[in-house]
Amino acid sequence: MFALCDCNNFYASAERMFRPELNGLPILVLSNNDGCVISRSEEAKECGIKMGAPEFLVRDLIKKHNIQVFSSNYVLYGDMSCRVMENLRRWFPMLDVYSIDEAFGWLGGVKNLESYVPRIRESVILNSGIPVSIGVAPTKTLAKLANRLAKKGTGTLILDTPEKISAAVKDYPVKDLWGVGRQYAKKFQESGINTVSQLREMPELWFRQHMTIQGQRMWNELWGRPSIPIDNSNNSKKGISVSRSFRNYIEDPDILSEAVTMYADRLGEKLRKEKLNCLYLQVFLFTNMHRDDHPQHYPSHTHKLPIATNNIHDLVRIATRVSRMLFKPGIKYRKAGVIATGLIPETELQLNMFKQFDGGKDNISKAIDQINSAYGRGTIRMASEGYEKSWRLKHEFLSKGYTTRWSDIIKVK
Amino acid sequence: MIRAFQQRAEQNISGFQSPADDYLEGRLNISDVLVIDPESTFYFQMDSQAMQAHGLRSGDILVIDRSLKPVRNAIVIAFVNGCFYCRRYDIVNNKPALTGDEDQIETTDGQVLQVWGVVTSICRNTLPNSLRKGKYRRVCTL
Repeated sequence: MFALCDCNNFYASAERMFRPELNGLPILVLSNNDGCVISRSEEAKECGIKMGAPEFLVRDLIKKHNIQVFSSNYVLYGDMSCRVMENLRRWFPMLDVYSIDEAFGWLGGVKNLESYVPRIRESVILNSGIPVSIGVAPTKTLAKLANRLAKKGTGTLILDTPEKISAAVKDYPVKDLWGVGRQYAKKFQESGINTVSQLREMPELWFRQHMTIQGQRMWNELWGRPSIPIDNSNNSKKGISVSRSFRNYIEDPDILSEAVTMYADRLGEKLRKEKLNCLYLQVFLFTNMHRDDHPQHYPSHTHKLPIATNNIHDLVRIATRVSRMLFKPGIKYRKAGVIATGLIPETELQLNMFKQFDGGKDNISKAIDQINSAYGRGTIRMASEGYEKSWRLKHEFLSKGYTTRWSDIIKVK
Repeated sequence: MIRAFQQRAEQNISGFQSPADDYLEGRLNISDVLVIDPESTFYFQMDSQAMQAHGLRSGDILVIDRSLKPVRNAIVIAFVNGCFYCRRYDIVNNKPALTGDEDQIETTDGQVLQVWGVVTSICRNTLPNSLRKGKYRRVCTL
């Protein structure tokens, strides 16, 4: 049996944990740069706040219902997520952390699911303070479905018999099924399929024809035959990226270069943490696609490095050079990012005939990492990052680092 | 509970192998005794004199474990009437209440006393002001 454990309104719940006075009141969390709604408390949902809605479109609703707004505080969410996952790990022989707020657990060999699963839930809620729901079923796809139904009920739902599964899929809308995107949802609707029950009744061949191998798997999963295994490997990373929107539009190549410096710096830090070198460095720029009146430009370039690297000097030098190459005057850029691909473990460094390994730069990066981990990120950084940082993310409603910064811990009376 | 790991103090020795090498146990780490379960431990800071007689001073760092259920006489963090309090957990007239040196906090009608976590230990800076300099400025004071 598989379990899907999912935090309820995770970001909103994490914020509310340290502000209990907001329990029972509508709150919402905005994406990076305070752009769109990415998490809502149940009360905010009832006020009619839609997921993904741009902040300026819901401003009236926020005012009318006196909704508390938060900028996304990923430092806090990251730590709270870690606590939830570590608590879950104690209950499952195998756990596959699927995203920041959900994890698949394998319950092989566990008897008395009816009492075991609610105990997991209660313990995680008590220890971490984050409400979770758990759906259990013979396959991951059905566990995901069970989880969604559990959220509307008591917080746990176990589909351990064919009868319970049939009842659960009967009215379940096919567009909410795991693995069904907008395209498939449309396709199914055109074929007159609205519920998972209807979908499941289609012949196996139909799945294979319309959805290739993925459809075959889905069909198996819907009938209770596990086809998507638990993924315990953590090293399947194909690429690491850092991308952010800017606070305001960037129209100056020097300022763009400052932002790209910081992203490349962060990217290097991530690579070094994973002990990986990258062979390719991609830089991309975005304009605001919602503005029809702005000229649009989405350039991107992938640079092949002479030898795989992860030191800050090489990454920043190349990323900023590429960003200047991509930049076109007169365009308002909204977002930029850097992506490292061709990842090779540090220990498997391959040199070429003309390049000598330069350990000095690696040592500098290592020293920078050590200093920054002791004194806080950004203590030492590249001067090309600039000082003004007008492009930095907007987060007007940022809460504190309650669990990560001594200066931010809560004071009590 | 979970932290049964031992750090070996590896030393790089260029000459003779140290005879102590096989006997290294790893140095004591205060968080082993202060933090029983790191996944459910949080830190708050005392910012009032209300628990002086209970041994808690203003400025103390409170180590809080959420996984414990409060019992009578435990020191707890609770959220009452819009505010976080650190008080002794008590039962008065069959109802949970918070007791301080001189005050008692009860919930107003119908509300449940919300215990946030149990205080398991406190950390305090004992240095006189004249020694709180340089890197010692941060010993348990924030």
